[in-house]
Amino acid sequence: MLTFIVRRLLFAVPVLLGVVFVVMLTIDLLPGDAVTLMLGEHATKDAVAALREHLGLDKSFAVRYVDYVGRLAHGDLGRSIQQNRPVAAELADAWPATLQLTIAALVIAAAVGVAAGVVSAVWPNSLFDALARLGSLFGLSMPIFWTGLVLIVVFSLWLNWLPVGGAGSLSHLVLPAMTLALPSVAMVSRMTRSAVLDVLGEDYVRTARAKGVGEWWVLGKHALRNAFIPILTLLGLQSGQLMGGAVLTETVFAWPGLGRLMVKAIFARDYILLQGAVLVFALAFVVVNLLVDLSYGLLDPRVSRQG
Amino acid sequence: MRRVLTGVLVLGLLAALVPSADAQKRGGTLTIVRPTDPVSLDPNLETTAPGAWVYFNMLEGLLTLDEKMQVKPLLATSYEVMSPTKVRFKLRPGVKFHDGTPFNAEAVRFTFDRALNGKPPARWASLAGSLSGAEVVDNLTVDVITKEPYGPILRTLAMYCMGIVSPTAVQKMGADFSRAPVGTGPFKFVEWKTNTHVIIERNNDYWGDKALVDRVVFKVVPEEGARMIALQTGDADMVLFPSPAQLPALRKDPKFTVHETTGIRVVFAGFHAGLPPLDDVRVRQALLHAVDRKAILDNIMEGSAGPALGVLAPGVFGYKDMQLDRLYPFDRARAKTLLSQAGWTPGPDGILTKGGQRLSLSWLAARGRYPKDGEITEAIQAMFKEVGVEAKVQVLEWAAVFQQVRGNPLNHHMFTLGWVTSNADADYSLYALFHSKQVPPAGWNTSRYANPRVDTLVEQARRSLNQTEREKLYGEAQDILAKEMVWIPVYTTKEIIASRANVKGFQIHPVEYNLTLGKTWIDK
Amino acid sequence: MTAWTRFCRNRLALLGLALVLVLTLSALLAPWLAPLDPARQSLIEKRARPGGKYLLGADEFGRDILSRVIYGSRVALLVGVLSMVIALVGGLLLGTLAGFAGGWLDAVLMRGVEILLAFPYLLLALAIVAVLGPGALNTTIAVGIWGVPAVTRIVRGSVLALRETEYVGAARALGSPAAALLRRHILPNIVPGLIVYATLFMANAILLEAALSFLGLGVQPPTASWGLMVSTGRDVLLVAPHVATVPGLAIMLAVLAFNLVGDGLRDALDPRLRGSA
Repeated sequence: MLTFIVRRLLFAVPVLLGVVFVVMLTIDLLPGDAVTLMLGEHATKDAVAALREHLGLDKSFAVRYVDYVGRLAHGDLGRSIQQNRPVAAELADAWPATLQLTIAALVIAAAVGVAAGVVSAVWPNSLFDALARLGSLFGLSMPIFWTGLVLIVVFSLWLNWLPVGGAGSLSHLVLPAMTLALPSVAMVSRMTRSAVLDVLGEDYVRTARAKGVGEWWVLGKHALRNAFIPILTLLGLQSGQLMGGAVLTETVFAWPGLGRLMVKAIFARDYILLQGAVLVFALAFVVVNLLVDLSYGLLDPRVSRQG
Repeated sequence: MRRVLTGVLVLGLLAALVPSADAQKRGGTLTIVRPTDPVSLDPNLETTAPGAWVYFNMLEGLLTLDEKMQVKPLLATSYEVMSPTKVRFKLRPGVKFHDGTPFNAEAVRFTFDRALNGKPPARWASLAGSLSGAEVVDNLTVDVITKEPYGPILRTLAMYCMGIVSPTAVQKMGADFSRAPVGTGPFKFVEWKTNTHVIIERNNDYWGDKALVDRVVFKVVPEEGARMIALQTGDADMVLFPSPAQLPALRKDPKFTVHETTGIRVVFAGFHAGLPPLDDVRVRQALLHAVDRKAILDNIMEGSAGPALGVLAPGVFGYKDMQLDRLYPFDRARAKTLLSQAGWTPGPDGILTKGGQRLSLSWLAARGRYPKDGEITEAIQAMFKEVGVEAKVQVLEWAAVFQQVRGNPLNHHMFTLGWVTSNADADYSLYALFHSKQVPPAGWNTSRYANPRVDTLVEQARRSLNQTEREKLYGEAQDILAKEMVWIPVYTTKEIIASRANVKGFQIHPVEYNLTLGKTWIDK
Repeated sequence: MTAWTRFCRNRLALLGLALVLVLTLSALLAPWLAPLDPARQSLIEKRARPGGKYLLGADEFGRDILSRVIYGSRVALLVGVLSMVIALVGGLLLGTLAGFAGGWLDAVLMRGVEILLAFPYLLLALAIVAVLGPGALNTTIAVGIWGVPAVTRIVRGSVLALRETEYVGAARALGSPAAALLRRHILPNIVPGLIVYATLFMANAILLEAALSFLGLGVQPPTASWGLMVSTGRDVLLVAPHVATVPGLAIMLAVLAFNLVGDGLRDALDPRLRGSA
C-alpha cells in the first residue's frame, strides 16, 4: 500500500509541472500583461519597459519557466508581480479562509445530507421524503451566485440576523458555507437515500428483521456501515467540486480565500501568484483523489467496480 | 468701576476664544467600505484609488488642491519661480514624520530622487511630466527642477501621489515600507490585513489641526449590494462607490447623507477617425446627434454622473464648455439627414448602405472598468440602430481591451473609455489625447486625430509658465475639437460617497483620490 | 417492462421531459412567441414592474424580460447541447483510447486529463475567448472542453471493466479485431450510462454558462443570456428584484428539467444504477 501511495504521489509531480507549464503558457497567450495593467493608462512606454526588465518579465518563456521550476524545487514560490510580496505569504493569508469554507460546507453537506437521506430511506414515500427529494432537486438546480444573493437579501437585509460579507467570526461563515453546500447537500441526501434503501432491501437485512432484531439496530449496524462506502466516495468527489465552487461563493460574499485571489490574479495577469494558487488547488486535488482511491481499496475489499 | 468692566471684557474675550468643548466631539472609529484592497500604500507602487484613499491621509506633498480645485500650500509655505525650469519652495518649519524624524528639504530631495531615479521608477513618474528632481538649498528651502519649461508644474506637485516620505523609514524598512508607509499626515499607519482591512489612527503630533476621529478602518467588500447593506445595518459608516440605483432613496432618508460633487473624469465613446466611414466628419456628427445623452444620464447613470460638457471636466485648469448640447442636440432627423448627405441610404433590413457596404461599426468595450461602461455602450448601440447604423459590440475583460486600445493598429471603429486628468491641468489630457504624435503606443490618441493647429496650441501651452496665456491657447484648441468631434462624450463622473447621517464634517473632493478625513468626525 | 415504459411511469421524469419540450419549443419558436423585440430599448421604462405591456417586467434598459427569457432559451440550449456533444465526442475518443490501449499511452492521457482538471476553469474560458473571440459559441466550446476529462474517466472506467468480462475475453481469444469489439460489445454497454451522464451534464453546462456570463465572459450585447441577465440584475436586486429573479428562475427550471430527465433515464435504464453517483 505504501508503494501505491508513493507511486501516486510521484505521478502527481509531472501533473503539477504540466499544470504550471500550461498556466504560464496560457497567460502569455492572453492579451495584456501584468506590467501594463499595473502601471495603468497613464504610464509611459519607458516606465513599462523599465519595470518589466526589473521584474525579469522580458525574458523568454523557456527561461522564465525553467527559472520558476528551479526555484520551486527549492520551495520558493516567487514573489507576486503586483505587490512584490512572497507568494507563499499571499497564499498563507488566503488559504485558511478557503479551507475553512470548504470544510464547513463539507460538514454541512455530510450532516444535513446524510440525515435527510437516512430519514427519507427509513420512511420512503412519506411527506418528508417527497419534500426532501423535491428540495434536493431544487438545490441541485439553483445557480450558486443567485442563491448567494437571495440569501444575503433574506438573512442580512430583511432579517438582519447575519453579516453581509467578509470574514472574521462564525456568523460570517454561515451564509457562504450554506450557499456553497447546497448542491452538495442535495447530492449527498439523494445518494444516501438510495444507498440505504439498497442495503435495507438486501437479503441479510430481511433475515435480521425476520429474526426479530430491532429496526434501529438493523439500521445502525448493517445499513449505515455498508452504505458508508459510496457516501464517503461521493463526499470525496464533492470536496473537489466544493473547491471549484468556492470561487463564485467567495466573490459574492467577499470571502478572502484562494478562489478570489485566483480570479484577481487572472484578470491582472499576475501569473506567478496564479501559479502558486493553482498549485495549492492541484495539490489538494491530488491528495483528495488519493484518499478517495485508498478508501475504495481499504474500507471494503469486497466492493467490485462493475460498470 | 472701569477695572471691573475691563476685567469682565477680558474674561469675556477669553471665554469666546476657548472653543466650545462639545462643538466637535473627538474619538470613535470610522468604518469605510470599498470594492478592492490596495496593491500597495506607497505612491511609488500604486497610483490607483484603493491605495491612494488611504495614503492620502498619511502622506503630504508640498502643495495640495482644495475642494474648489485651487492650489494651496501644504508642506511648502511659499514659492518663487526662479527660471522656466526651476521653482523655489520655502518649507514649513517644525514638521515631523510619524517616526519622529524631522521634515526638511533633504526629505523632499530624497522622495523625488527615489521616485524618479529608482529602479524601477515610481508609478507616478509618468504623471509628473518634465519633473526631474529637487535640489536642497538649505534645511527649509528646496528647488524643484524640470527638464524643460513645464507649465503644469504647480498642479503636478499638488497631486495626491506626491506625498513626501520619511527617508529614515524607507531606508530602515526596505520593501516593507510599501505596506506601512511613514509620512507627515494627520493619520498614521496601524495595520493591514490583506484583502480584509487597512487601519490608520490619529497622529497626535500632527503640525496642523489634529484629526477628529481616533481610527479609520478601510474594509474590502467587492459586491456593491453587500456594501449598501453594510451601510444600512451600520456595519459601515461610509461607502465609496455606492449603488446608483439606491441613491434616490438614500437622498430622501434622514439616516443617511449623500455627498456629491462633479469629478474630473470623462467617460466617452471614441471614434477611430482614421477608419472609414468614421473619417467622414459628417458621419461622426450624425452619430453625435443620434445619441440621447440626457436619457443615458437620467436612466442609466441615474444622477450618479453629470453631463459631459466637453472633452475635459469642469474644475480642470484650462477647461472650456464646448456647448455640446447646443452644437449636437439629440435629433434623429438631423442624424439621418447628415448620413444621407454623406451618401448613405437605407438598405433592405433598415441598416444604411453605400456602394454595397453596410454601415456596420465594430465597437470595443470593457464591462466594469468605468461606471456603467458596458451599459452605456449597449444603450448607444440601440440608439444607433434607430438611425440605421449597426454596431457590433465586443465586450472583453479590461486587460484585452487595454491592450487593443493601447496598440497599433486598432481594428475597431469605436471604443468606450474614460480619461481622468490626473493633475487637473488641461495639458495632461489635451496633449496625450489629441496630439498627432501621441497615437498609441506612444500616447493616448486612440482616435488617431491629427490637426496641425491643435498640435501647435498644446505644445505652446505646455511650455509656457504664464497661466493666462495657457488658458487662452487651450480654449482655442477646444473650439477646434468641437467642430471635428472625435468623441461622443457621455458623462463626467460625479464623486459620490454615501455615509450615515452621524458622520459630520466630511468634504467631498472633485478628485476621487483626495479622500480628506482630517476634519471628519462622528456624532454619537 | 421496457425502459421506455418504466420512464413513462415516473411522473417526475415526465414533468422534466415536458419542461425540456417547453424549452426546445421556446428556442425554436422564439421569434413567434416573444411579444416584443428583445433588443428594443426604452430607457424611460427601465425596470418596469411586471404587468401590462411588460408581462414579466422590464430590465434596466426597458427591454421586455419575457421576450429576453424566451430568446435566452436559445443560448441555454445551444450551450447545453453543443457543449455536451463536444464533451461526449472528446471523452469517448480519449476514454476508449486510454482504456483499450493501456500502458504508457493510458498513463500519459490520464495525466493530461488530470492537468486539465486541475487547471482553473476561468483561465480556460478566458484563453478560449482570447483565441477565438467572445460570444456564446466560444463559451460553449470552453464548457465542452471542461467536460471532456470527466467523460474520459467514465468511458475509460467502463472500457477497462468490460475488457475483462468473459464474453469480451472470449471474443478476443477468438481473434476478433479491436474495432469490432468496440462496436459490438463495449460501446453498447457504455451508451446507457453516458446518456444519463449527458443529461446531467447539460444541466451543469447551463449553470456554467450562466456563471461565465455572470463573470463577464459570454454572449455579446444585445443578445440575451439568462446568466448575463442575473448578473446585471444583481445590482438592482434590492430595488427591482424581478430583473434578476426571473432569469434566475428560468435557469433553475431548465436545469431542473434536465436533472429530472436524467434521473428518470437512470431509473428506467437500470434500476441497479440508482446507487452510483
